[in-house]
Amino acid sequence: MSSDKVSPEFVGFFENARQGRLAFPKCRACGQFHWYPMPVCPHCYEDQIFWQPVAGTGEIFSYTHVRHPFDKSRRDALPYTVALISFPDAPGVNFITNIIDAAEADITIEGKVNPVFSTSETDEPIVLFRLAE
Amino acid sequence: MSLEPVAIVGIGETRPVRRSEKSLRGLVIEAVQAALADAGLKPTDVDAIVTDGLVMPNTVPRDFVAAQFGIDRRFDGGLSYTGAGIANAPKLAQFAISSGQADVVLCYFGVDWGTRASGPYGFHDLYEGKGTFEKPYGFSAQPSYFALWATRYMHEYGLTEQDLATIAVTQRQNALLRELAQAKSPMSYDDYFAARVVSSPLRVPDCCLITDGAAAFVMTSRERARDLRQPPVQVLGVGFGSEPISGDDGFTQPGGMMHITGAKAAADRALGEAGIGLADVNFAEIYDCFTISCLMQLEAIGFCERGEGPAFIREIGLGIGGGLPVNTHGGLLSHSYLLGIEHIIEGVRQLRGQAGDAQVSDAEIGLVGLLSNPDYGVLLLGRDAR
Repeated sequence: MSSDKVSPEFVGFFENARQGRLAFPKCRACGQFHWYPMPVCPHCYEDQIFWQPVAGTGEIFSYTHVRHPFDKSRRDALPYTVALISFPDAPGVNFITNIIDAAEADITIEGKVNPVFSTSETDEPIVLFRLAE
Repeated sequence: MSLEPVAIVGIGETRPVRRSEKSLRGLVIEAVQAALADAGLKPTDVDAIVTDGLVMPNTVPRDFVAAQFGIDRRFDGGLSYTGAGIANAPKLAQFAISSGQADVVLCYFGVDWGTRASGPYGFHDLYEGKGTFEKPYGFSAQPSYFALWATRYMHEYGLTEQDLATIAVTQRQNALLRELAQAKSPMSYDDYFAARVVSSPLRVPDCCLITDGAAAFVMTSRERARDLRQPPVQVLGVGFGSEPISGDDGFTQPGGMMHITGAKAAADRALGEAGIGLADVNFAEIYDCFTISCLMQLEAIGFCERGEGPAFIREIGLGIGGGLPVNTHGGLLSHSYLLGIEHIIEGVRQLRGQAGDAQVSDAEIGLVGLLSNPDYGVLLLGRDAR
């Protein structure tokens, strides 16, 4: 999607990702992270939100290997793995992504992963993950 | 305000099919005609219409139904979206009837997600966070949402694929007892395991059907109900429950991931109103959009503790003759995917003693639990005591 369609609360994520950084919204008032981005903090309802960069290394909370083309544009890309990632330095954030370059058998809950920033001229960057060495 | 007891006095449904020749509006009209005929009421006896507040207003609005039947509404209302809203329709009807604003209240619901291009997957497009941060990763379909839950649940609580198979196979057996059910072929455990995986660990039979169809029911005061054609089915208690987490976050974030918090609150409110406990419930119709979500709702409602669902279903038995018959018509998995209104229709049928070969013997109290994450509705129905 083009940037003019992205909700204003979401822009900070893409600005950071374009610089190769993973960052999540954090509340200055209560010090807690949240996800997805929203106008006020869902923990304390204050609006003092900023983008806090994190190290990026995360852990697989859950995953699914998708084998059906729910999304027709992915018909030729099956199967692919959707994973939900949690981060030790961003408690409260679960990030949806794809695990790439991995055999299905090697993908496990609690497996460690690192981000890969995929940028293009036309679309917002997306953040994929690889299994940590 | 003291509330007047109400009853469900008429039920109607179309034959659920994958693709209907009729328009959704035509299907709803057919279901409403059937419900009124079942009750022995004329369209002009109806003076209020209620339905869900999201899907029907955009497809078959209440004014359209009113105009097609000549129903002159004195009261009108939309509730929470889909199942949780429909389960609470009897509460809204009760408010209207008790305050003198209505005598006969019609509720209807239907979908044409079998023929509509976006099907069920288009529904979540209204959530911006999902559109921006999930769709680009190929995470945009309900089977994948619940697959993530199933993978994690298996890791934490020792759920097996065999347990999921038990839910799917049992409900298929129930559906085969019903002439109207959409699924027609028997399914063994071997058939289940041979089925295609759509989003691991979920297979085709772990997922609900896709349906074109509609259903409707008619409510009035318990007093008036006794003069009508059918044995009235009493509304014993109604509960709504939710949690302050949006549909953007409900399937993935720590507050919502693997939690169906609203179910407990809704069940407690309904049971409190009815003055009964879960032990008094003879059968349950649970929103089985997926095998895993059916299991987790049994836990969340309180039939067993969190994490004990797998052991619970192994021991109690979910079939018609089991300790807790669940989805006696086959549910969303094997009867039809009308987002829960068929569960209410089935509850009424059981309590009238009209369920044929799938009749639960001595059924006196049934629980209907309907999920519209994060909202939840519980409806407790009882056999007429006369």
